[in-house]
Amino acid sequence: MATIEFNQIQKSYGGVQAIRDFNLTVDDGDFCVFVGPSGCGKSTALKMLAGLEPTSGGEIAIGGRDVTDLGPGKRDIAMVFQNYALYPHMSVRSNIGFGLKMHGLPKAEIDRKVAEVADILELSDYLDRKPRALSGGQRQRVALGRAIVREPSAFLMDEPLSNLDAKLRVQTRAEIVKLQKRLGVTTIYVTHDQVEALTMATKIVVMRKGVIQQIGSPETLFDTPANLFVAGFIGSPGMNFFRGPVEKEGDVAFTRFAGARIKLAVPAGQLPFDNAIFGIRPEHIRIGGEGAEIGLTLVESLGTEKILHFQTPEGQEFNDADTAADHDDERDASSMLARVIDDVRYADGQAIRVHLPEDKIHVFNPDTHTALRAASGQVNT
Amino acid sequence: MRNHSLLGKIGIYAAVAATCGLLLFPIYWMFITALKPANRLRDFPPEFWPENPQWNVFADVLNSQPFGLWMWNTVLVAIATMILSLTVGTLAAYALSRFRLRGGQGLGLFILTSKMLPATLLIIPLFVVFRSLGLTGSLWSVIIAQSTLIVPFATWMLKGYFDTIPPELEQAALVDGASPLGAIVRIVLPVAAPGMAATALYAFVISWSDFLYARTFLTTSESKWTLNMGIATLKGEFVTDWNVIMAASLMAAVPIVGVYLFLERYLVGGLSAGSEK
Repeated sequence: MATIEFNQIQKSYGGVQAIRDFNLTVDDGDFCVFVGPSGCGKSTALKMLAGLEPTSGGEIAIGGRDVTDLGPGKRDIAMVFQNYALYPHMSVRSNIGFGLKMHGLPKAEIDRKVAEVADILELSDYLDRKPRALSGGQRQRVALGRAIVREPSAFLMDEPLSNLDAKLRVQTRAEIVKLQKRLGVTTIYVTHDQVEALTMATKIVVMRKGVIQQIGSPETLFDTPANLFVAGFIGSPGMNFFRGPVEKEGDVAFTRFAGARIKLAVPAGQLPFDNAIFGIRPEHIRIGGEGAEIGLTLVESLGTEKILHFQTPEGQEFNDADTAADHDDERDASSMLARVIDDVRYADGQAIRVHLPEDKIHVFNPDTHTALRAASGQVNT
Repeated sequence: MRNHSLLGKIGIYAAVAATCGLLLFPIYWMFITALKPANRLRDFPPEFWPENPQWNVFADVLNSQPFGLWMWNTVLVAIATMILSLTVGTLAAYALSRFRLRGGQGLGLFILTSKMLPATLLIIPLFVVFRSLGLTGSLWSVIIAQSTLIVPFATWMLKGYFDTIPPELEQAALVDGASPLGAIVRIVLPVAAPGMAATALYAFVISWSDFLYARTFLTTSESKWTLNMGIATLKGEFVTDWNVIMAASLMAAVPIVGVYLFLERYLVGGLSAGSEK
């Protein structure tokens, strides 16, 4: 068990900089998730930590020991790969015991530890099988077993669930979290799935184009995203964005949504713009009351939960690569979503009133796309 | 399997039989030629099974010629060529497959183009080199010369195979504490067994059937003759005992069949199945 530190890590391939100024401290026992769209550098960061990719600059320390120039075998880490990377010519027993054998443990001890791990992961009946005779879920457990049997100071997991079907993924997700809590081993987990990140992590690192966007707990990232990208990436369905004017009356600022005037939590002094970008999560939009009147374009019903689609008011559309391209829900950039749980029946084309609660509106700098907040001003990334 | 109609099945079997017949006919013809007395070889219409098969021709070959010595030399050359080509080819292929080499792709193509040079083009430069190294008349000359032909192709065959093995397998072994060479030996090579077996078989067959190099480098040292070289000397200036040559050739082909049967079990693909999702 150990802390993990990245200090000014850089990575470039030829002239292309894949990772820039990567600074991160992961505390002992943390479950830290690197999340971001594909190509954001999260797997590269993990491979550098594993020693499978050399760094182009900076230092990596595991448990206070500088491991930057050590080979993967000397870093006291274990890794679970996306494709499991089980040794196909070896039995499950040999797969799990391979690392122990490489570290020169006596056979009796290897057998004992393998049996112990197989018992934890319910693999005892399959120890003599080859990986090809196992199901996807069982293979995944062998890959986990290979990692935990070594009792390393850190687990590194590179999208270990992406090859499982949806149901098994949810089940295994919970199992991994439970296992990690039980063993207390510092874990770095890479995924592109923000739901996985939110449900598993104690600490999330959101990355984009090789740069850390924000580091924080799932709640921090959800409630106070540092910028447009994080706001759009975290949460499902993603945050709605719209452009709006900034109107000031003394120290109080307002914006307008479909004509309705909304007071902003951010004081006027912090908004030296004529207009800004605003965001609100689909679950925070209130239906009814005295809000602006809009027409529903589509109603998706999931029983009591409904996703209501409506057009962003004309002239207020915000269309930006920062948010749309990287998000996984395929919504039209000019439409907004509201997520409601009620017993009302909605129909396509129906006119409803939507109210955006002022304390739930996120305000972003229209130029830098960083979030602006009432109490602490700009959030540091 | 799809269900074929009876007619379809008959068609398939007929096609398979025709193909096999076409491929096996030369061997059958060698066999009956070996069994015929020398004066009946050119009979027309030909006999499809000799009236009076001369079974003793095989024993004659063994008794009248140093067949055992030729066989031994050929086995030595083929095994040494196979080991040398496979070793060099494996390391080269691994490097080409795994490392981002500067100009790696160009290098790979260059290696392949060297395969396009005909052996006859290389033979004179090779002869000059071997003479200055004092290797002419030694089995090493043939082993090295054959390897120059086999290595390029072996490298490409193996590279293609290594490319199909996910690099995560070695990475997992490295994380598990194996050395880079250990990861290759313990993980990559066993997984690449079908590719290695195919390449080994290729090297063995090419080496076994070599005549040109043996003829050029070994002519003067009779004790180093290989099978093909020795069999070629059975063709006389005035009289050629084709039945003897055919008998010798048939016996010369037996080890190849043996090697194939031995390597066949490794040739079955799909060994890496199960390592991934």
